[in-house]
Amino acid sequence: MKLWFQLALRNVWRQKRRTFLTLITMFGGFGVASISIAWSDGTFEKAIDVYTRNFSGHIQIHSPGYLDTPSLYAAVDGGESLLASVQSHPQVIAATPRVKAAGLVAVGDVSAGGRFWGVDITRESSMTRLPDKIISGQSFSGPAANEVLVANGLALALDADPGDTLVVVSQGIDGSLANDAYLVVGIFESGEALVDQTTVIFPIDALRELLVLGDRVHEIALIVDDVAAVPAVARDLQQRLGDAVDVATWQVFAQTFNRAMELNRRGTWVSLLIIFAVVAVGVLNTVLMTVLERTREYGVLRALGTSPLQIVRLVLFEVTIMAVIGVTIGCVLGFAINSVIAWVGIPLPAPISHGGVEFSRLNSVVRAQSFWIPAVCVFASALVVSIFPARRAARTAPALAMRAR
Amino acid sequence: MIHPSIVASHATTTAEHVVVAENVTKEYRDGGLVVHALNGINLTLDRGEFTAIVGPSGSGKTTFLNLVSGLDSVTGGDIWLAEKRLSRMTSAELSDFRRDHVGFVFQSYNLIPVLTVAENVEYVMLLQGVPAEERAGRVERMLDRLGMHGYAGRFPNQLSGGQQQRVAIARAIVAEPDLILADEPTANLDSTTAGELIDLLRELNEENGITCIFSTHDSRIMERARRLVMLQDGCVDRDEIL
Ligand SMILES: Nc1ncnc2c1ncn2[C@@H]1O[C@H](COP(=O)(O)OP(=O)(O)OP(=O)(O)O)[C@@H](O)[C@H]1O
Ligand SMILES: [Mg+2]
Repeated sequence: MKLWFQLALRNVWRQKRRTFLTLITMFGGFGVASISIAWSDGTFEKAIDVYTRNFSGHIQIHSPGYLDTPSLYAAVDGGESLLASVQSHPQVIAATPRVKAAGLVAVGDVSAGGRFWGVDITRESSMTRLPDKIISGQSFSGPAANEVLVANGLALALDADPGDTLVVVSQGIDGSLANDAYLVVGIFESGEALVDQTTVIFPIDALRELLVLGDRVHEIALIVDDVAAVPAVARDLQQRLGDAVDVATWQVFAQTFNRAMELNRRGTWVSLLIIFAVVAVGVLNTVLMTVLERTREYGVLRALGTSPLQIVRLVLFEVTIMAVIGVTIGCVLGFAINSVIAWVGIPLPAPISHGGVEFSRLNSVVRAQSFWIPAVCVFASALVVSIFPARRAARTAPALAMRAR
Repeated sequence: MIHPSIVASHATTTAEHVVVAENVTKEYRDGGLVVHALNGINLTLDRGEFTAIVGPSGSGKTTFLNLVSGLDSVTGGDIWLAEKRLSRMTSAELSDFRRDHVGFVFQSYNLIPVLTVAENVEYVMLLQGVPAEERAGRVERMLDRLGMHGYAGRFPNQLSGGQQQRVAIARAIVAEPDLILADEPTANLDSTTAGELIDLLRELNEENGITCIFSTHDSRIMERARRLVMLQDGCVDRDEIL
């Protein structure tokens, strides 16, 4: 083994220029791949964060079947105790209860259909930054106040302004007619069209009272400390809470968003494929040239009794040595550049604002996969394309050694 | 399996056949063209012989040496080397057989350029799995014997042609093969160096009884042989003991 390693190492060293070019291809490919994975992870996680923190949260808990057919009656009993046991999970950093309903709303003689959300405004503000979304007026004066926030699209349709009175008509869970008048204290904008066209937000206790819900909730939304840990935390919670509730991750309840993200990811995979196709062609070129140049040498090795398998091993050893060096340099470079992009970020041409948060730069996140994926790709592409030239070298006719030079 | 003539020769004389070629033919196909390089060669080489193969260019010397050493396979006939029938071996078997039974000296030296003199000499023993201590001892003795002692750490491109060919001889005999085979070993050397080199080979032959067969065009070199086989158009034209 030592012999092949030594032979391979000296052979690699022998063609310094060519080795150098191959190394550039290798660590260049590695670096570009590593940077694009870290960048893609960064923007991906940022997008998830922005999206889920708008309203949905990372995980939602409902009565089973609620996600498919939301209904006033599909409410979970004992909202407070459920909330307490969710919050006791060490990875849950915020959780908030919600009740949801629908009905008619009217300001003066203009009326429209509306979706009603009853929220705990203090808990929402630590999780979804709801108060930041208020574009005119202010937030609720108390947890049970007869006040509402109206989404800007709906407010436009109703010609509603802070200070107006909103009349609400719906049906209580007990079948009673539910109607009351509320003071419009603020107009909000979430950035999501559907929400902004239809939604009226109530203090949770005010909506519970209107609908005779007691302490029931329709939804508990929560966020965890690490987006990557969402599925694991969801599994934990489902186990803790049992079959009475259904624990869903954002991938489930935000399917459209998830699909868009997946598509985005696929774009990253395609560019990785292209990068490593380039690396593979570069390596193939080097190895093929080397093998053709050394035909006579392989003939001599064969004549002396070196087996074809040993020749294959020698060629693959040379490629492996280059890949190890290339990946090492690539790791150092990739780590440095990724860290800078994670730390400083890349400024966006124009700041983006979504649901009350504005961000002007995007950052990478440095995770193990921005190194191991490119490393595996460098080794795999280099070794796969080297098999053909290695076999060619192994098949060199030993009689070639006898030819005079 | 042992060749019948070997059994026979053991019965009649003490000489042992190292090589037995029986009616050996070799054709090269070059597109549609068939070249008859060897047309029925019968030849035996006994252990300890020092034989020159001579003949005009294209007469089949290289072809014959290739077949005898298992670098190439026959078209017809049989070749036996060290009691093994080469003509029935697969290329993998031939590879191991060459490693263990044949030492090569090439016209173009063909040392491995990235290995030092000592490593070149050691190479075949590494393939054979000879223990490190024994390898080191044999390499040292061999380089001493060939007057290359001070050059162990040099690379081939730091040596003259004659020095490279000495190293090649060391590499060929260090693993004690049954046959040393040299195709025009002196063709790239000036006449003085060529003479010294062939004398060295002959000394080694006399000291150790190594069987050696070489081809040459040079009449002063063939004079040093003890047996001369002359090829003409792929046939043995003359075979004489000097
Ligand atoms: N690989 C090959 N393909 C086709 N023909 C070949 C091949 N090798 C040798 N020949 C032919 O076989 C014949 C014998 O060639 P060989 O090389 O054995 O001659 P040689 O006696 O060694 O000649 P020289 O003294 O020039 O080295 C020649 O006619 C040659 O052209
Ligand atoms: Mg020849």
